[in-house]
Amino acid sequence: MITDISILIAGKAGDGVLFTGNVLAKILKRQGWKIVTYRYFPSNIRGEPTSYTVRSSLEKIHGRGDKIDVLMAFDCDAILEHIGALAASGVVLCEGRELVRLKSRDRKGKTFHAFPMRELAREKFGNEIYKNMILLGGLCYILDLDFQIITEIINETFLKKKGKDVVQKNIQAIHLGCEEAKKIVQRGERYLLKSRRDLSRLLMSGDEAIAFGALVAGCRFFAAYPICPATEIWQWLANYFPRFNGLVVQTEDELAAINMALGASYAGVRAMTSTSGPGASLMMEGFGLAGIAEIPVVVVDVQRVGPGTGMPTKSEQADMTQWIHGSHGDFPRIVLAPGTIQECFEFTIKAFNLADKYQCPVILLTEQDYGQNYRTVNKFSFSRVDLDRGKILTQKELLSLKDYKRYQFTRDGISPRALPSMRNGIHMVESNEHDVRGYRDESSKNRKKMMEKRMKKLKAARKDLIRPKIWGKSTADIGIIGCGSTFGPIQEAMEQLYYSGIETKYLQIRTLWPFLGTEVEDFIANCKQVFVVDNNYEGQLAYLIKSQMKQKKEIRHILNYSGHTFRPQDISGFIHKAL
Amino acid sequence: MLKEKDYHLHDPTWCPGCGLFGVFASLKKAAVSLKIKPEDMVVVTGIGCHGRLNNYFKANGFHALHGRALPVATGAKLANSHLSVITVSGDGDAYSIGLSHFIHAVRRNIDLTYIVVNNMIYALTLGQTSPTSQVGFVSISTPLGSKEFPLDGPRMAFVSGGTFIARGFSGAPKQLSRLIEQGLQHKGFALIDVLSPCITHNKINTYDWYKENTYNINQKKGHDPKRRDLAWKALNGGDTFALGLLYQEERPSYNELVLPGKKSLVQSRTTVDRKEWDRILQKFE
Repeated sequence: MITDISILIAGKAGDGVLFTGNVLAKILKRQGWKIVTYRYFPSNIRGEPTSYTVRSSLEKIHGRGDKIDVLMAFDCDAILEHIGALAASGVVLCEGRELVRLKSRDRKGKTFHAFPMRELAREKFGNEIYKNMILLGGLCYILDLDFQIITEIINETFLKKKGKDVVQKNIQAIHLGCEEAKKIVQRGERYLLKSRRDLSRLLMSGDEAIAFGALVAGCRFFAAYPICPATEIWQWLANYFPRFNGLVVQTEDELAAINMALGASYAGVRAMTSTSGPGASLMMEGFGLAGIAEIPVVVVDVQRVGPGTGMPTKSEQADMTQWIHGSHGDFPRIVLAPGTIQECFEFTIKAFNLADKYQCPVILLTEQDYGQNYRTVNKFSFSRVDLDRGKILTQKELLSLKDYKRYQFTRDGISPRALPSMRNGIHMVESNEHDVRGYRDESSKNRKKMMEKRMKKLKAARKDLIRPKIWGKSTADIGIIGCGSTFGPIQEAMEQLYYSGIETKYLQIRTLWPFLGTEVEDFIANCKQVFVVDNNYEGQLAYLIKSQMKQKKEIRHILNYSGHTFRPQDISGFIHKAL
Repeated sequence: MLKEKDYHLHDPTWCPGCGLFGVFASLKKAAVSLKIKPEDMVVVTGIGCHGRLNNYFKANGFHALHGRALPVATGAKLANSHLSVITVSGDGDAYSIGLSHFIHAVRRNIDLTYIVVNNMIYALTLGQTSPTSQVGFVSISTPLGSKEFPLDGPRMAFVSGGTFIARGFSGAPKQLSRLIEQGLQHKGFALIDVLSPCITHNKINTYDWYKENTYNINQKKGHDPKRRDLAWKALNGGDTFALGLLYQEERPSYNELVLPGKKSLVQSRTTVDRKEWDRILQKFE
């Protein structure tokens, strides 16, 4: 029985790879399979290689796998690029004239089907655009997909936007592809998937989960500048905010985005901005303002490959150091690193509560990998979401005060907030160092006290932060540490290692800053060998751990800065070799 | 009844004779005449000598980062449209480091009043050439004279879709407070560029120099701030600056366009009910 299958659709940008992949992912998801999609696409609209992997499994999966089972290629280049990852028994569908270009050594052991999708599309519809649905039809035959579900999804995709005629033609194209595949694919070359209609799971991207989380958390102001791969958060909010009297503003740049969010938050509404790459660098300035002015704000950085413009549509974990130590000056900040779609949703709500409670910027650090790609996640069950706005004074409380001080010294460093337009609550917010009322004060006595007051908030926050999670057997003496997108590949690498007789455990760090050292120290102390997995060149997570660790112990780095996320084998293979 | 002293928190410590005193007085006067309660007022400033203004003026204040006063003010006004938001910048803050925010705030026609205290020099950093300094202006940053063409805020606002464009002079506080009043009443983005001598660092553009090189357009026969052609003429006066309300047009503000329900964001419901929750998540099934 097939329990795990990866289908890769590849061609050039403009071929409709993304669209075909999305439809396929939806079909398989509704047939009860767990899905991880993985796109590798250029940061331009047409012409360069692009690919879309739909991994489907009956088991829990959290990342792209090691191998491709079915490769649907729009040209020979796509085959050559991906043939290395094709399983030994893999199947390739491509047009005959493209297959001719393959050398016999490339073909070894694999099954190739000449599939005339363009020709059929021209013949039947007079338009090559239908090639994708014909190809999908071919796959439907190979995987034995449910036609009722396919029809349903085609209807949902096209009926409202393009009308009945287009729906009909697309369904015809799928049938045509299916009939064609029947002629050329042998029964034994099919992957018959078990199918059970299931709507209990959602197919969602991390960006969407964050956007939904923000809506649920009561965020009603969002300002951002367009940037890959964070724009999906904005897109989603732009659709839903109007119904909730929320507002999305497209700003002139990221400087404006974060400052506008701070202005809105200062006036009393929960506010967020999202960005990536160069935008994150521009936000450093406003990030510090949030710190000194003690204004709650949630910033999402969907990390992409840097530096400079880097690779805008590819994934990396190289902004950690920037958010932990970045902007000039010292100030309290909280940096969260969700690793799954579920965590994207939950941590977003948490981020807003933390920001309000500790009156500081909270960073949600995600990655292009699970930011833009879709994964199945159990439906978020409706529950009363606990919104903690922290110390905001009511009008009554404020009127009872003799002398309101916005930055009053308190035991935990958190001072009660009054909002503009409240009576008896007039106050100043200063980007300069300021006194308890917010007015500029550069005396060294005040400076020291104010700095200590602000930094003290992080101490209070510690008990409230998201603790690391330990996976695997506690008795194992090989330890793996990671955060964010490495969650999936590490989980699978552990399984692979287990089958080859190596037991491991894994510490998933979920709050990067303030660094929760106790669990990490304990974990490391109980390991003979420790590997830290970093999707960057310098080993930023390992560096962070080393800088905070009291014990002296060697830490091995597992690094990847290829623009791709880890495959499970990258990690299991490394550990294997190292032992 | 509100009086000027109700907006007076401290006596300013600007250099005696600084144009900012005129701006400070005019702002208090305008607030009194419009009866804006200090708690309903937010004064956002940028970085420069003007930036101290809200440490002296009694209202809610926000001293933002250099150049970023407008985005902060925009966010605050969008979150709570009940607030009277006044933003004050200097020429460096508004027209150099914050230029992009300025142009886009004008385009957006966001409902706030923007006072740019224009002294044609960087004063707080002890006297460098500014974007509004005139060609040939000698300063510590351009000892051989400025080689760059001066930027004109009101003219830029005009070509960027500005709906309220005025120019004041801190030596004419009566006119200035009237302009601020009009700006506050205007539904949309109101720019008031205020020529304001820096008596310490700018020995060229002095009170006398401004008196010689300005005229009151609203006293001049034939000017109609509703007419684009006349406004453009007034904005291109060559060596002399026209003072007064140069141009005004009625156009829905950004606030009215994006929040047609007139309910402020701070009044929005912050919860999602079960029905909405299910309907939203259905899209992901």
